[in-house]
Amino acid sequence: MTPLLSVSDIHVAYKAVPALSGVSIELFEGEILVILGANGAGKTTIIKSIVGLTDIQRGGISLRMNGSSHDLRKLKTHEIHRLGVTWVPEGRQLWGTMTVMDNLRMGGFAADPAETVQRIEEMMDWFPRLRERQHQLAGSLSGGEQQMVALARALIARPKLVLMDELSLGLAPLVVAEVFQLVKKVNALGVSVLLVEQNARQALRIATRAYLLEVGCVVESGLAAELATKRSVQDIFLGGHS
Amino acid sequence: MNLFLQQLLNGVIIGSTYAVIAIGFALVFTVLRVINFAHPDIFMVGMFGGLLCATYVTSNFLVVAIASALSAGFVGLALERAVLRPLRGRDTLMTLIATLGVGIMLENGVAALISPDVVAFPAVISRQPIDLGAVSISRPQMVNLLVSLGSLAIVSYYVRLTAYGRATRAVAERPDVAAAFGVNVDRVSQVAVVLASMLAGCAALSVGLLYGNAWAFIGLAYGIKGFICILVAGNRYFEGVILVALALGILEALITGYLSSTYRDAIAFLLLIAVLYVRPNGLFGSYTA
Repeated sequence: MTPLLSVSDIHVAYKAVPALSGVSIELFEGEILVILGANGAGKTTIIKSIVGLTDIQRGGISLRMNGSSHDLRKLKTHEIHRLGVTWVPEGRQLWGTMTVMDNLRMGGFAADPAETVQRIEEMMDWFPRLRERQHQLAGSLSGGEQQMVALARALIARPKLVLMDELSLGLAPLVVAEVFQLVKKVNALGVSVLLVEQNARQALRIATRAYLLEVGCVVESGLAAELATKRSVQDIFLGGHS
Repeated sequence: MNLFLQQLLNGVIIGSTYAVIAIGFALVFTVLRVINFAHPDIFMVGMFGGLLCATYVTSNFLVVAIASALSAGFVGLALERAVLRPLRGRDTLMTLIATLGVGIMLENGVAALISPDVVAFPAVISRQPIDLGAVSISRPQMVNLLVSLGSLAIVSYYVRLTAYGRATRAVAERPDVAAAFGVNVDRVSQVAVVLASMLAGCAALSVGLLYGNAWAFIGLAYGIKGFICILVAGNRYFEGVILVALALGILEALITGYLSSTYRDAIAFLLLIAVLYVRPNGLFGSYTA
């Protein structure tokens, strides 16, 4: 089976400091793939490399879409989005001086305007709170509400692959559980998900497969259910017990 | 009272021109994070574009205005392609010096090709005053005001109500995220530079018509005032920039009317120093470089 996304032996450094040293991952269509790792392990760098926001020194990233393979290193960030890849960045990174509605409209910037209007309505049905807050500045929302906008914004353009970076960061435990349920709901619609997380317990519960990253290298990989029982993963991420 | 109202009107007219120039600076800065020091000289190119059209082609106001806008817009386009885009991501000081260099080239180029002296502007519109009761306004003043307000309305419409305008604001705040949502940052930047240049060209034409002359080195005087406006207002909200530009114009006109034009520029700089001392990011906040 050909993977939807294939990251092959990529090396990325910020100035002289290596961030990724020969990372390879594969993501198959329809799955939730989780990348676990501590702060500074290189998780966000993988996502930024996929969307073309890092300077990859070596290795390649390819995306199989509509029957053909695309070398993402040759494409600009906006062109990668147009292939059907969207991003829920770490810390939400909404446009805080713009309204919730304008943030959602930007989610469909590259899509058909009429379809964007329809998708915004659908997202407001998913997240009724956003309908109430649509004219409010995105920067004035609570963390949980901002995460809803970030998720909705990423789904407006009907992506094939969503890259989600630290969804649970800074959210209350109840909101975290809700957010992970939403990821499952998104995946159930046929959207492939690459999830980068520190909250290993929740992430492994919903993931199909997982990779464990340490200091810019993949040290473990496999089915999420199997990885959750591995001692190395338990010791580092699950407090020593599953 | 009549003097006050007259100076108020004069202030709004000059302030609205400052606003168009300041918005040009702000528009380019928000998307590219560089101060385009060639902007005042693009303004000057627009003035000479209109002058050449009025002298050699036609004195039809609309055609002359289009010539001003297109000549300035073309220089803006060339600047974006040849200087701003290749230098993106480099040290901002490099871009700053490069735009300053382009500005000097434009000034000296026009001075060498046309004239280094003040050149009379053909009478494209009548100079007859319109009596509004307590105050009077000349036709060139009326045109200046309408051109400036029209330009500001175009920028507001573009930035607030169009998809590209939204993308411009998105690039201003988070360029990486904007790109990841399909925004071609190069294209948005190019549109911003060309739009800012075209509007500066129109503003320059109206200034040329107002004073009846054009000068290759006129950009500096207007450029400094426009630059002061964005420093005082901050570049985050265009409405704030417009407000400060109008306030500066009114302040200058009142000083000229009640004291002397000698103090006019000094007070503008005093205002700048005072505001930056209290609010270093400007009155309404700034995106930083």
